[in-house]
Formats: sequence, structure tokens, C-alpha cells
Amino acid sequence: MRQLPLWAERLLRTICPKEFFEQIEGDLIEVYNHDVKSIGERKAKLNFIIISLRFFRPEIILRNRFSVQLTNIPMLRNYLIVTIRNIRLSPLYSLINMFSLAIGLSSCLVIYLFISDELSFDSLHSKKSFIYRIYSVPHYSGNATQKVALTPGWLGPDMAGDFPEIASYTRYWTQGKMVFKNSEEQFLIDHVAAVDSTFLEIFDFELQSGNRASVLDEPNSAIVTEGTAEKLFKNANDAVGRTVTIGDAEYTITGVLKNSVANSHLQFDALLSISTFSRTNRMFSPKWDGSFLDTYVELIPSADKKVLESKFLDFWIRHTGIKEYDKGTALFMQSLSDVHLGSADIDHDYNNYRKFNGVYLKVFGTIGLFILLIACINFTNLTTARASHRWKEVGIRKSIGAKKKQLFGQFIFESTLLALLAFGLAILLDFFFVPFLNQLIGRQLALSSFLAHPLQLGMIAVILLSLGLLTGIYPSFYITSFSVTSVLKGGVKTQGKPIFQSALIVIQFALAIGMVIGTMVVTKQLTFVKNADIGFSKDQILLVGMNNEVNQKLEILKTEWQRNALITGVTASSQRIGNNFGGWGFKVKTDTGIYNFTPSNLNVDFDYLSVYGIKIKEGRDFSKDFLTDKGGAFIINETMAHELNMKNPVGTPAGQAWYENDSLGSVIGVAKDFNYNSLHNKIGMLALVCQPAWGYDEISIKIDGTHAQEAITLIKEVWGKNISTYPFNYSFLNEHFDTLYQSDQQMSSVITISSVFAILISCMGLFGLVAITTKNKIKEIGIRKVLGATAIQITAMLSTAFTKMILLSFILVSPITYYLLTKWLENFSYRISIDPFLFLLGGLTSIVIAIITISYHTIRSAHENPVNSLRHE
Amino acid sequence: MAKEFLGDFEELILTIVAIRQENAYGAAITIEMEQWLGRKVTLSAVHVTLYGLEDRGYVKSKVGGATNERGGRRKRIYTITSAGVAILKAMKETRTELWKMVPLLRFINN
Repeated sequence: MRQLPLWAERLLRTICPKEFFEQIEGDLIEVYNHDVKSIGERKAKLNFIIISLRFFRPEIILRNRFSVQLTNIPMLRNYLIVTIRNIRLSPLYSLINMFSLAIGLSSCLVIYLFISDELSFDSLHSKKSFIYRIYSVPHYSGNATQKVALTPGWLGPDMAGDFPEIASYTRYWTQGKMVFKNSEEQFLIDHVAAVDSTFLEIFDFELQSGNRASVLDEPNSAIVTEGTAEKLFKNANDAVGRTVTIGDAEYTITGVLKNSVANSHLQFDALLSISTFSRTNRMFSPKWDGSFLDTYVELIPSADKKVLESKFLDFWIRHTGIKEYDKGTALFMQSLSDVHLGSADIDHDYNNYRKFNGVYLKVFGTIGLFILLIACINFTNLTTARASHRWKEVGIRKSIGAKKKQLFGQFIFESTLLALLAFGLAILLDFFFVPFLNQLIGRQLALSSFLAHPLQLGMIAVILLSLGLLTGIYPSFYITSFSVTSVLKGGVKTQGKPIFQSALIVIQFALAIGMVIGTMVVTKQLTFVKNADIGFSKDQILLVGMNNEVNQKLEILKTEWQRNALITGVTASSQRIGNNFGGWGFKVKTDTGIYNFTPSNLNVDFDYLSVYGIKIKEGRDFSKDFLTDKGGAFIINETMAHELNMKNPVGTPAGQAWYENDSLGSVIGVAKDFNYNSLHNKIGMLALVCQPAWGYDEISIKIDGTHAQEAITLIKEVWGKNISTYPFNYSFLNEHFDTLYQSDQQMSSVITISSVFAILISCMGLFGLVAITTKNKIKEIGIRKVLGATAIQITAMLSTAFTKMILLSFILVSPITYYLLTKWLENFSYRISIDPFLFLLGGLTSIVIAIITISYHTIRSAHENPVNSLRHE
Repeated sequence: MAKEFLGDFEELILTIVAIRQENAYGAAITIEMEQWLGRKVTLSAVHVTLYGLEDRGYVKSKVGGATNERGGRRKRIYTITSAGVAILKAMKETRTELWKMVPLLRFINN
């Protein structure tokens, strides 16, 4: 019996009703003794444990429900009273304690809201796990590989025809802004796309009226969102069946959609049936020339993505026929859930609303946890330090019979209660903070939707409880370990070195310093990106969309505009700068023959280089004086000249892939390299051609920045006089460039705010802690002063310990921070080098802030009259 | 009205309580049942059943003497009440009634 495992018995005691325990225990022992005789001691012991554990059944546990509640309610009341008294007795510490935890919790909450908003993208579709977007990696011999979201027009239908694994497909062809005309008025509708009739079968966008199965079956049918319908017909209810002129064709409205939800990567105001175009439009050649639309496929449930992808290269070659300069394009499938967060490296991704770099979500989450950790450390440290003020309470409680377990319970109860209060405060803070943040990062995060969700509320309850437990456990352990006699005799003098507390402070400041340094480096890189010399000027440039009519009247517009001094230049191009320019086949004549490859290409107007301020390194610009310049002259960039090892590029015969080898044009100039793409990417090979006959997509107008409004009015006037089929709409090029770094910019905002919080919370903790430690040393300070120490010496003495700790945390965190920041900077092809000075600056700033924080207490206690502290001895 | 009814485990325990008179308690009942049934009986199941029977008024219990072989812990001695005796009888009679209705010794071969 003596060798029986006590733990099983003790465990049993906690769950058994008191009135039954003794007999159960007795029975267990008796059975054990009986077993020893029949089956031997070892087996009996095992049996004992098994039988004991089998008492854990509801019939037993539920029997002692009443007794637990009876003993606890008065005690809990007492704990509550004591907690409130303690808060009132030292409001400063309680406030610091609660506020730092509240700030930590509120930042965590905001980060949680942000992350769950990002994760909710495209989750409304019931078939989401079977829907994939096709992206391609074209094999350009002239460029680094790039992922491209666009596919050829016939890829979808051919894919569905060739592969039984594909249940359905839909294409999504952005038409951009289009003019909608009802009987009397015309409207510019922002996001118009042409889609297949299967679009609403694959995606679950809600249709308000119209027949879901057939709305887009017929050519020239259109479905519009509620908002668009109201614009067009005042009343969305009688939209179905009406006709509108869209662009230059008549369409019948067959259905009305609910307005687009914010968390969908596809955003549209009207959808047209793609069959309207695919019969007649030259873009839809069966030869697959050119990639220009997005293709989505729905797989059958048993399909294997990898296996299917492996068949795509053959498929591509089968349908395009392999060409000399094009080794075939690799096709891949991206699952719907990855489109929003996993497309950071995909270019020409025009239909990806608020695309975000998913890796940053992990960064945000980690930062949130760090802040919470810092706040928890504060809580633990302050409570522990305050323990000295509660010796007497603990001593008296112990001497009148409180058990260790009860004291423990009391302190855990207190910390849980404080955590609860802090959470209330955090919610209050967030009510003010969330709208501000929404403005900063352009979101609609809502606290109310979060609070309305019962599951999330339950989660919060669990988190708060564990928070209370976690932060309360060390202080409780520490406080209850005092022995009654020493406590009541006059306080515990031998505390020893508080290693645990110091370690916590080191961790806390390490995190904070890491974030501060991170903020500095990230901000510096983004400033670098903004101000870097990208080889052309992107400021004061207005972009205006154009159609056929505008292309025909381009020369008239240009002359009329340029009569005014406010407009300093007008040009046009086939693609907007600030993207990876699309590539097509190109060839140059070399010593050994014709070399075919695929660089990026851009069709520009004559004065493109001068309007954008792109410098010519060799040769000349396009000129109207040379008749052959229309389509027969090329300006290449330095990178191309360098990559192809051209000694004398100017004059080299060159041409587009479809030019006959005996009628090539020639390279007339080499442009200095300019970053036509974001600085995340390296500059690739580029060939510029000037051929107005192919048409341009966008006009770029350089205006006088000081009179922007006047200039825009003027441009609009001229437009209105000349153009009748296309409304005037413009944007600024800077805004477009801002979107290139949007994810980075938002990350920078979050990390900046977080590091401010991290430092703030850490310093709040430090402030409280120093207040307590100086108070404990008040007599030592008094004696030192009497013996002749100066105020400065005492201030220094009090500060050194903390300064040392912060120094240590700086040393610890620097290498980790350096590593992480280097990783982040690798995202940019053009980046700053990490300056060790920034590290020193970050560390120094933190130390200075910390010293200032504690100086309030250290200086005050150093100047205290020793009489006050020593009088009572 | 549905008759009061005992499960066979309950009935067996109640019977053993009746047999052992002043010496029916958890461990003893368990060990005796194991001998009768020839298989393992879980102590906690016996306890739970006894509590249930007590709740329904078929047995009553008092805390009794300790012995050495149970480490000085006292026993909870159960005794059958008249309600317990009544239900045992009723169960037995019902069974006998039913048994009488079984056609005797009919071998069914085909």
C-alpha cells in the first residue's frame, strides 16, 4: 500500500465528492490487496491505476457540483473586494498595468481584423476549392521569366475540350471603362468585363433578377450590378429586358447582380457575354495569337492539379505550333484562394483588386504576438515587483489558514480580472483607432462585425483566461513562496537577484528595439524607392484613355493642346509605363545570321522619349523627318545592347518577328536604361517602335504642375470639342506608381505604428518597475547621501542596471533583425545596403528613451532629503 | 403505467447486497461478482450503480468499520430496503410468468 502511486489517488481526490472519497479509496486499496495475492504486485499496481482512472465518469464528477460552488462564492467576493482595494490604493501602477495590456490587446485585435479581412477574400464561392486561375510563364529568350496572369482567347475552350479533368471554364476579359447609353443619356461605367456564360455557374456572385442559368447565353446580353442599373434606369427593378448601347453595339440587359463585395478579387459593374466578341473580334484568332484575358477553370473533384499541369506544355505546343523564338509557354494553375494573397510575383495582373503580398500577413501576425508578449511581460514584471507591498496581506492570509492553493487562486483571479478590464479598454481604444487606421490603409475593417460573432467572443474568453493565467502564474508563485514568519516579522529582505524579471525585460526590449530598427530600414528603403533615379520623370504626367476615334484625331488634339503653355508635352503609347511591358517576337541581324528572341516591346508616339525625359545614349530619337521611322526604326535599351553584345548597335538591321528577313528596319538609337517596371524587378531587354497605324492605348500629357487644375480644364475642353464617342477620363501617373509599392507601404505603416506601441508599452512597464525598485532602495539612497554621494552618482547608480539590460537586448536582437531585414530587402532588385549606423541609431534611441523614462524616478529619489527616508529607523 | 425496472447489472448487485446483509460494500461486491460472473467487473461501475440504487431508495447506506487491508479507510455498508426486496421479488415473478409461457423443449431443426 505504501508503494501505491499517490498521484492517481490525489487526482481522484480532486474529482470525487468528499462524502464518498474515503470509501472509494478504501475499496481501491482493498481490491489492490486482493489483486496482489491473485495476480502479483506489478499487475496489481497497474490495475490500481486503471481502476482509479475509471472513476473519471460523469456519474461521479457531477455528484459534487454543489459542494464546489458553496465553498467558492464568498471567497470570490472577497478576492474581488481586495482587487478593487488594491487598484484604488495604487492607481498609477494599476493604470500602467492595464493600459499597457490594453494597448497590446487592441493592436492585436486590429491586426487580427486585418488578417481575417485579407483571408476572407474570395471565400464566398461554394466551388472555391475546385476553381483555379490559369497563369503562364512565357519563355522569352530575351527576358527573365515572369509569371503573367493573361492567357490567349481560345485557351479556355481548347483546354476544356482537351482535358476531361476540366469541368468548366470561364474567361474574363476586361474592357476597362465603357460608355453606356440609354435612350437619352450616356454614362461612363468603370469596370466592364466580358465573360463566358458559365461565369455565374462557377462563381457564386449573387444575381438579383434574371435567370442564373441563361443570362449570358446569347451574344449581346449584358448583366449589370444594382448600382449600375440605378445609374442607367433610376430603378434597378425594371432594368431587365431594356436595351442599352455599350461602346458601339446594342445589348439587352438580361439580369441584375448584387453590387460587388469588397473582399473579392474580381470587381465589376457590368458583365457582357463574351460570345458577342469571340465570333468577330480579331483577338480571338484560333491561332492563339497574343495573351489578353484571364481564364478560370473548374476542375472535377477527382482531378490532380500536378498531373494536369504536367500536360500543359504539350498542350501549348499542340495549339500554337512551336516557333523558333518561342520554346513554348509553361502554364500553371493558381487556386482561387491564392489569387489575392499569392500573386505578388505575377505581372499583368489587372483583375486583382487590392492584391496583397500574403507573406506580409505572417509578418503582421508575428508583430501582433510580439506586442502582446511585451504587454504580458509588463504585467508579470509589475505584479511581481509590487509583491513586496503585499507581504502583510499574504502573511495574514496564511496565518489565518489560507492554503497555498487558495492564495494562488486569488492572484490568478486578480490578473484575470485585470486582463478583462484591459480588454474592455482595448475595445474602447479600437473604436477610435480602427476608423483612423481604415483611412491610413484604405480598408473597411469593422469592429462591430467582430464582436457580433459568438465564436470569436468565445475565443476571446479563452484567450483572456489563459492570459490571466499566464501573466498571473509567476507573480502568484513568487508571492505565495514567502514564509509566514519572515513576512510578519517585517518584510522579506533577502530577495536575491531577480533573474527572471531581468530576463523578461531583456526579451521585451529586444523585441522593441528590433521593431524600431526594422522601421528605420523599411522606411529608408521605401524612401529610396520613391526618390530613386528611375531614368525618366513620372511627375506631372496625366494619363488619358483612348479609343479608335481618339487615335485618328491624335495629331489634331496634340497641336491644339500644345498651343497652351500649361501643357509641356503630349505623347501616346501602347502600354502604360510602370508595368512589365508585354513581349513579342523580335529579331536582329548579327554576323552569324538572324537572331530571334522575345524582348519587351512598346509602341510609342514620336515624342515619347522627350516627354518622359528618357535620355538617348547613342544614335537619335524617332523623327517625323524620316519616313522609315514609322515601323521601320527601333530604339533599344542599354540592357539589350549589352546582353546581345552589340558593338555598334546603331544601324543594326532589326525587325518584329513577322517582318520578312529581307525587309528589316534598323536600330536607330540606344536609350539609357530606365526602370519601366517597379524596382522589385530588374530591367529587361526592351525595344521601342513607333508605328501610329497600330494604334495606342493611352495618351500621356505632361502639364505644368503649379497650374494642374487649369491644365486639366483646358485638356477637357479640347477633348469635348473634338471627341464624341469616348468620354474624357484621366489619372495621374504617380498614383499608378504608388500602387506598385502599396503592399510595402502598408507594411511600413503597420510596422511603424507597432514599433511605436512596442516602445511605448515597454517604457510604461519600465516606468512602473523603476518606481517600485527605487522605492525599495529608498533607505540605501538615504544612507549613501548621508555618506556624501552626489545626486548624479545616485542617478547613475539607479540607471546602470537598466541600461545594461537594454544594452544586452540590443546585442541579442541585432543579428536576428539584420537577417530578417536582409531577407526582406531581397524582394527588391534595387535596394539600399543596410547601414550599421541605422542599427546603432535604433539601439541608441531605445536606450535614450528608456533612460528618459526612468529619469523621472531616479532623479527624484536622488534629490530626496535623506531625513525623510531615514527618520523612522 | 410503466413498471419499475432494474437492469440485469443492477439486479445482480441488489441481489448480492441482499445476500451479504451487513457486509455489502464496493470492493466486496466487486470481488464476489467477479467470482460469480467469471469476468472482470469495474469498481467504479459498481459504485455508480450503488449510488443510483440508493437514490431510488432500494438500498440505504451507512459508514462502517475500517480494516487493515483497506489502509484504515472506512467502508460504506449497503443494506437492502423493503422497497429493494419488493422490486427483486417483482422482477423474479415477472420472469417466472414469462418463463411459463415458453413452449417446453421444442427443438427446431428445419
